[in-house]
Amino acid sequence: MHLKAVKLYLHGLLNLIYVKFARALIPGAWLVDIAGAVLFAWGVASGVGAVASHAALALPAAWILCGVMLRAVATCTVDRIAVASAQAASRTRRADLWHRLLGGRLARLISSGESANLALDHSTAIENRDQRFSPIRINAVVGPLVVALVVAPASWVAAAIMLGTLVPFTLGMILAGTASRRAAERQLAALGALSGLFVDRVTHLPLIRHFGAETRIGRQVRAATGEVAHRTVAVLRTAFLSNAVLEFFSALSIALVAVYCGFSLLGLLPFPAPEKLTLVPAFFVLAMAPEFYLPMRRLAAAYHEKQLGEAAEQALAPFAAEPETYGQDGDPDGAAGGSAVSDNAGPAPFDGLHVERLVLAFPGLAVGPLDFDLESSDLAALSGPTGIGKTSTLAAIAGQLAPSSGSISSRAGTPLAGDAAAWAAQRPLLMTGTLGHNLALAAPQATEAEILAVAQRVGLGPVLARRGGLAMPIDHAGSGLSGGERRRISLARAILSARPLILCDEPTADLDEDSATGIIALLRELASERCILVATHDPALIRAARQEIAL
Amino acid sequence: MIPTHAATLPTTARPALLATAGLARRRLAYASLCAGLAAIAAIGLLALSGWFLTAAALAGSAGVATAMGFNYLIPSAAIRLLAIVRTLSRYGERLLSHKVALEGMADLRGSLFDKLAAQDSRTAPDTSPGEASNRLIDDVEALEDLVIRQPARHAAAVSALVSLVLVAFGGWRALLFLAAMMAGLPFLFRRISERLTRTPAEAAAAALGDLRKGYVELASARAEIAAYSLADQAIAQLEPSASAFDKARADLFRAEALQGALLSIYGGLCVAGVLLLARESAPMVALAMLATASAVEAMGGLSRSLLRRAALEAGLRRIASLNALDAALQEPVSAAAAPLAFGTHHVPTGARLAITGPSGSGKTRVLLALAGMQQPVADLSMDATPLASLPAWRLNSQFALSPQDAPMLIGTVADNLRLARSGVTEAQMWEALKVAQLDQRIARSEAGLDTPVSEGGGVLSGGERKRLSLARALLAERPWLLLDEPSEGLDAATEAALVESLRRWLDRTGTGLVLVSHRKAPLTLCGETIDVTDLA
Repeated sequence: MHLKAVKLYLHGLLNLIYVKFARALIPGAWLVDIAGAVLFAWGVASGVGAVASHAALALPAAWILCGVMLRAVATCTVDRIAVASAQAASRTRRADLWHRLLGGRLARLISSGESANLALDHSTAIENRDQRFSPIRINAVVGPLVVALVVAPASWVAAAIMLGTLVPFTLGMILAGTASRRAAERQLAALGALSGLFVDRVTHLPLIRHFGAETRIGRQVRAATGEVAHRTVAVLRTAFLSNAVLEFFSALSIALVAVYCGFSLLGLLPFPAPEKLTLVPAFFVLAMAPEFYLPMRRLAAAYHEKQLGEAAEQALAPFAAEPETYGQDGDPDGAAGGSAVSDNAGPAPFDGLHVERLVLAFPGLAVGPLDFDLESSDLAALSGPTGIGKTSTLAAIAGQLAPSSGSISSRAGTPLAGDAAAWAAQRPLLMTGTLGHNLALAAPQATEAEILAVAQRVGLGPVLARRGGLAMPIDHAGSGLSGGERRRISLARAILSARPLILCDEPTADLDEDSATGIIALLRELASERCILVATHDPALIRAARQEIAL
Repeated sequence: MIPTHAATLPTTARPALLATAGLARRRLAYASLCAGLAAIAAIGLLALSGWFLTAAALAGSAGVATAMGFNYLIPSAAIRLLAIVRTLSRYGERLLSHKVALEGMADLRGSLFDKLAAQDSRTAPDTSPGEASNRLIDDVEALEDLVIRQPARHAAAVSALVSLVLVAFGGWRALLFLAAMMAGLPFLFRRISERLTRTPAEAAAAALGDLRKGYVELASARAEIAAYSLADQAIAQLEPSASAFDKARADLFRAEALQGALLSIYGGLCVAGVLLLARESAPMVALAMLATASAVEAMGGLSRSLLRRAALEAGLRRIASLNALDAALQEPVSAAAAPLAFGTHHVPTGARLAITGPSGSGKTRVLLALAGMQQPVADLSMDATPLASLPAWRLNSQFALSPQDAPMLIGTVADNLRLARSGVTEAQMWEALKVAQLDQRIARSEAGLDTPVSEGGGVLSGGERKRLSLARALLAERPWLLLDEPSEGLDAATEAALVESLRRWLDRTGTGLVLVSHRKAPLTLCGETIDVTDLA
């Protein structure tokens, strides 16, 4: 376990160094790209010069080819580094985020679909931004200046013209950008809901077909998608203005450079010539002119990725930091051992549960204030209809959900240890492996005899006999296991974990009467040695409990 | 040329798709016109600048007289004009192509929806709702992106032609050379795209699918993972698909960069070739070289769209196959009640029947089969015909289901009630809500029937959604009501009231009932029971 932690740490450290180091190489690669552009422009210019003076063309052609090769190498290098560093950063971010979403303490409970959306889609959107937008950003700042610097020895006036267009360009971008962007963002957020309608209706097709509502809903979908298109186009009308500004100044700088150089070469400038131009340097300047705005045009092309990445970052922000914790901290290995309670001399032994003025208040959910006490061996039922917040209350007691206010402690008033509570789920986590491995997930050091004894105790005997004992193979979908058997697996796991407090989420829901009666009997029996809190709306289970806490 | 069947399919499927989306070439024509104009202006700007500059240098060095005789007004004005044309036409191209794509895709979404809606739920291609619908949405977005890029493809062709016209000023050798290079580019880059991107694009999609499935499974076991600190082990399970996903994406990105690099080298070869082969004056060679350089750059749009096409091929194929579905819709009609048979057990119209059996024995499946949502596994028939051989619309005319998970459309209470049938009045809604014991709750809510209902919560609790779903089934006025755990999550008093009002409603309307419930109270509605294990 320790070795693994060290390895993980080192891996993370190397990753970090690599990301920082590799990113530092990106500006260098962009300089190589500009060097390639310079060679290419020089090749073209000296080629024109050679044609004019009837000189050999081989060398200019070679410059041209060298230039494009250099550019090819540079862009591939930038991309390679960007991919590696974006993915390295993404792996670190993902590891963190996944840990938090799957095993950490959250500010509110989220559905598994939403969790997957955050963990996969949003994380990928940020990676795309790092990959496509971030590496260009430095070039957009430095690139034009370097191009102006390279052009200056050939014609400082042309360099000044290029830099000069930056001023009205920046003003134009500010004008076209800010106001319209704000409006667009507001508008697009409102459009999100409308475009969600299509997704929702496609998801509910079986229901829509069942009620024969195809035509009616179809009309609604058409109206909504049409509206989305219509309003999006209205937004784009202004949103594309900033691109037009960029396009205009990039064209203008080429035109101005060409006209200046032409007139200067003709000797027809309407003002005294500030410098003496000849064909090759002038042509070089012209060939370099498109390069000045190129980095910014590249940046604009990747702007969509930036917006998506930032939106994703915002969506992830509430999950970026763990809410203030008690108990359940981020210790990755320590709490896994079921015997940790007896090993640690640390916190006082569990003497019962004390809940005081517990309030959970999230959108769509309001629980409490709740006050109750449980003995160290007890059976209590948290009751109330589906959706009222029973599972959320259990999650708060388990330390997985930050309550809005109130306290959860042992009866002596000390905070619960991180490994005080076991959780028996409706559908337990199943990993590909044997049944024995799955039962002992929370107690890896349990012996086969111990596992077998607990399995028999929770009534898994018949399954074991039928399907090959503890070595019975299990896939992660738990194929071939009934609802009742799943329930028993999660209870066996909770018992094996040797934790003093067992939280059971709907242990009898959707079970037939015989299975439910069996589970209730088992819970009653367990209540003589553990503190058990069940969330249920099953009257039989509520009757069996020593205490009912109605939400 | 391209041997595989898969590779040739989308090329033929694409025009059909665009046509369905109302995207006849005519609608894209203006966007393409702008794109072409922008391409001409961009090439013209650079080429003309090069010619002007070189000619000016030669005239300038030939002496003051020649310089004075040089007509500089037209070229310098043309250069400025081209700069403006380039800006305006680019803006027009962007806006118009987005407009056409957005509007066309809105139509396509509508028509895909109609076609999917006309399918039988038991055999429809969207039977696993989450994944299939997500894929459909991604695919349509990808197609939208392709349509937006369509004018850039036309612009690439225009650029190639314009550059050839301009290079002709550099002599026939250069012209022939460039014509060959330009003609070869699309074929070469299509091959490169196919080779480089097909495999990683498909691998990335597959890995993401696996990853999502695995992740959702873990996320639904979150409480246990958190309680026992199993996150490391759990995440390790995802590692293979996460690595595969990362690798495929990295390959895809690198392929894109490589293609860009190859294009830039190709452009260099073209320019160098034109330089070596041109046999004309310096201004004409300058014009030819700069035209070539900027035309190859414009071809970048084509090469990028080829790259995306290769990556999106699977998605385009999926949309094409959905779009080929038959949209003929048979709406359910109000029909006389039909008798049912469960195995050998015959159930007359208007009967009330409970289906019992241990959990996991398939009670819900029986209801879903009757509702036409799943293939029957049990021996069920209606009107003496096995369920499997009845068309879905016949089943939909007979049954109204309130499913166990009470799915709700995003919208309002009224939206969800209106789903039941056309022409539902407000009075009827309130009446159904009253039977479902939900009228007071909705009346208390400020928005009344306009109270929002959403996927994961909204203001209604789980039990309330369940009763809303019941009210919806009542409103459908079908001869048979199918209820799956209708009183789940209710306290005893509400449950008793609900059962009583349901009894009165059933008595009054003569509607038949097939019920699945593990609670005692609703079972008292039923005159007979059937054990589902006897049906297998």
